[in-house]
Amino acid sequence: MRIIPTLEGGLMIDADDPGDWQLLKGITTDAVSCDEKLARRLGKLIADEELARDWKEYVIPDLEAEFSADVLHVATSIAAARVECGGGPGPLWITSGDAFQWYSALNQARLALEEQFHFGPSQVIDPGELPPLRRAAFLRSQFYCAIQSLLLEHVLR
Amino acid sequence: MADSDTLTQTRTDTSLDVPWNVVVRDDPVNLMGYVTWVFMKIFGYDEKKAAILMLQVHQLGRSIVWTGQREKAEFYVQQLQAHQLKSTLEKAA
Repeated sequence: MRIIPTLEGGLMIDADDPGDWQLLKGITTDAVSCDEKLARRLGKLIADEELARDWKEYVIPDLEAEFSADVLHVATSIAAARVECGGGPGPLWITSGDAFQWYSALNQARLALEEQFHFGPSQVIDPGELPPLRRAAFLRSQFYCAIQSLLLEHVLR
Repeated sequence: MADSDTLTQTRTDTSLDVPWNVVVRDDPVNLMGYVTWVFMKIFGYDEKKAAILMLQVHQLGRSIVWTGQREKAEFYVQQLQAHQLKSTLEKAA
């Protein structure tokens, strides 16, 4: 798989085989893998009781809807591109218009993995020392982080 | 003078609104460049100020990124959470 900035200000993810498409699909699977949704986890940071009640009633549902819409958009984009090339080699385009939705879905995936595996700062982790399930999750998180870095460098800023 | 009069007394109390702090906490997921970008986007800070606040979050574990009226602080926290940053608001000391 190669990820290349486009002249139009987006990114092209060039998938090589079914394994690449499976890896990309993992973004949306991981994004919703946490028992407690991200919006609720963020809502718990509000300490003031009265404000926390309002937050639960008015803000969290909106945030949940936004986060879900971002993941759905990415899931649809991946599925459409995969069908287009029959699950084999082919491109997946991220435009400047949907870059933030991609960033959001990737971030949700990484936050969900962090919530479950508690990796902490990635520079102090040696993946070779991790058990298989944890290592796979860590490497997926690093892969998502690499796409995020490209989005930040070439598209969002 | 009439048998009964109504007396109206108007009293005005003025008290200063307690300012609220918008606080962002560190986490191991959000990229430093992203946090800086979000501060620029939401608060309109220039890159230098946004980067200083981001480094405070990263190095000290938290930073007060804005202080002011409660309603506006709530709006900013909502925006920060929409960008998936660990953020909250608290009364300024």
